[in-house]
Amino acid sequence: MQDTDVRTRGARATARAPRARTGRRLGQALIPYVWIGPATLLIAVVVLWPVVEMIRTSLQKISSSGVTLGSNGTTNYSDLFDEGDLVHVVVRTLLWVAGVVIVTMVISLALAQLLNARFPGRRVVRWAVIVPWAASVLMTALVWKWMLDNYFGVVNEVLLDLHVLHKPVNWLAHPDQAMLWMMWVAVFVSLPFASFVILAGLQTIPGEVYEAARVDGSGTFRTYFRITLPMLRPALLIAAIINVINVFNSFPIIWAMTQGGPGHATDTTTTFMYKIAFFDQNVGESAAMAVVNFALVLVMVLLYLRASRWREEVR
Amino acid sequence: MKRHLIGVIAAGLTVTLGMTGCSKGSSSGGGGGDSKTIKFVAAIYDDNTKGYWDGLIKDFEAANKGYKVNLEMVDWTQMDAKVKTYVQTKQTPDILNYNAFSDFARDGLTYPASEVVSPQVLSDFTPTFVDQTKYNGTQYALPFIASARLLFFNKDLFKKAGITNPPSTWAEVKSDAQKLKAKGAVGYGLPLGPEESQAEFYSWAMNDGGGWVDSSGKWAINQPANVDTLNFLRDLTKSGLTQPNPETTDRKTVFNQFAQGKVGMGINGPFTRAGFIDPVNKNLNYGIAPLPSKDGSVHNTLGVVDVLNAFKNGGKNKDAVTKFLNYFYQQQNYAKFLKLENFLPTTKSAGSALSSDPYYKQFVDALPQAKFAPTSNPAWSAVAGAVKQSMGTAVASGDPKKVLDGIQKTAEKNG
Repeated sequence: MQDTDVRTRGARATARAPRARTGRRLGQALIPYVWIGPATLLIAVVVLWPVVEMIRTSLQKISSSGVTLGSNGTTNYSDLFDEGDLVHVVVRTLLWVAGVVIVTMVISLALAQLLNARFPGRRVVRWAVIVPWAASVLMTALVWKWMLDNYFGVVNEVLLDLHVLHKPVNWLAHPDQAMLWMMWVAVFVSLPFASFVILAGLQTIPGEVYEAARVDGSGTFRTYFRITLPMLRPALLIAAIINVINVFNSFPIIWAMTQGGPGHATDTTTTFMYKIAFFDQNVGESAAMAVVNFALVLVMVLLYLRASRWREEVR
Repeated sequence: MKRHLIGVIAAGLTVTLGMTGCSKGSSSGGGGGDSKTIKFVAAIYDDNTKGYWDGLIKDFEAANKGYKVNLEMVDWTQMDAKVKTYVQTKQTPDILNYNAFSDFARDGLTYPASEVVSPQVLSDFTPTFVDQTKYNGTQYALPFIASARLLFFNKDLFKKAGITNPPSTWAEVKSDAQKLKAKGAVGYGLPLGPEESQAEFYSWAMNDGGGWVDSSGKWAINQPANVDTLNFLRDLTKSGLTQPNPETTDRKTVFNQFAQGKVGMGINGPFTRAGFIDPVNKNLNYGIAPLPSKDGSVHNTLGVVDVLNAFKNGGKNKDAVTKFLNYFYQQQNYAKFLKLENFLPTTKSAGSALSSDPYYKQFVDALPQAKFAPTSNPAWSAVAGAVKQSMGTAVASGDPKKVLDGIQKTAEKNG
């Protein structure tokens, strides 16, 4: 009796040792997850859950009051693709994104170069460039809306005084002009972020590279296109991608200035989505538009990354 | 290392806080167990609205010990988005001040009116408004305030242009507008922007035999009379007799110009004097006339009614909701609100409150001939939304018939 007791105890003891070792190894393997756990959880709650919710909503039938009436299959999507204005809106959105991002990046490159140069008062200029970023986008858009007003707008006032115009122009009522003005406002609010990212990029380029170029007799243009621009690629890449996403999803500028009107003539997919939910009272179809919008952003960013061969940057 | 730790703790805290926030949100729907506390969402009509409700609720709580009303004021520009969110997240207030009711009634969210006000209050509502708040033959919403639309005209500009009487027919509207234009003014201020194009359009269409539905109640938005109306408005625009770009102009812009004496005519409601004209130019010499009609025979007016909805939220709130609504509809409380906000009454007992003022009397007198938008049809909000988005384009780049066909399609899709 005693004998067996000892034996089993011994067996247990020998069994415990490796188990403890695997336990420790498992614990060690789990430690990183403990550390990244809260962040992962945060991302899951704040990022993934809304995406799931969005896709779920796009498959539901939701009454005009807001009550969920059950599954709607893919009807929301077929309704969305039946909208006569959808194609125009998507094309306009792509033009809007391309136009705003390209102009922003070109101006930001110049601005960043200026901010990187040494001159008296540089600190003040750097602060001044940040201002449009610090101001609320909605406020900026509203200020521009009033500046472009047909009756009281300062833009008309100045152009009339300079005899450029003979009578006031209702800038925001004509779709093409309105679109150009809104793109300008979008560029204006995108500049600070892009130019500061590029400025940071400029500051990472070591001085020795420039010195070597100078010794080799490279001119200003050549130095810029052969050294500065290639070495700025990581910064440009980041600035452009974030800008694409921001501009694509930009709602306040267009909503404050034209509400996407007249009709749907200045709508992008984001304002169109809002109108489907709150004018057409169709939350389900609006969610379908949101899913399409989400997919469009993903595809655009992937295409851009592919075109710019981002893997070389990572390596 | 220490900084990392703080970061992790912060992240952890954020997540936990976020999650408790969520769970608290979803459990507070349905009114909760405390049936003596109710939530009231009121629309902001102007700067006086909040003060009125604060005062009324204080008096109500003093008179009814233990009852509590939580007030939330919402601006009209955010109201639609808020209401949708309330319903979707099952956090509807107990009483909601809004401009629609029929889809709540259809979805079984609200009480029939007879369950939440006393028989005296119920029988005090003017029959016109009772009809406007019925869904499938039962009155659900409580008529809250009413408004009517008439033609405002600038007497000084009319005199300068040699016009003696305000126009009665559409032909006169056009010829008067031409005379006003010759004197440098805008003939007719036409707001067909997204703010309220459904009201402006209907004010004209109803006086041409047009409207939203046919005699059997079916959608008839692309009927010939409506096309004819839009062609007339398009002609006014294309002849340069309106302000530039009616398709993007809202009512407030038109009436700001009217108050400055730059516009000859425009259609608006009783709040025009206090809301648009007096703040800009108290000395403006203007008159008010019935809405012009195509042939000048019958002059209909556009009626608008806002309502109070009482949400069931599980049913425990009925006693408190009823007490508060009966309190609000007491003659002196209700009349005080109307006077403060310059709206027309929806009850018989408050009917005389505004008639002593000759300005308001014209609107009160016009109400019996008022025609209303089909708000008792749950599809109306989607139709109004389609009108707001596209009606204006019919006088600009669009074709009237095609624009109306598009809206008709939306209407039929929504039932």
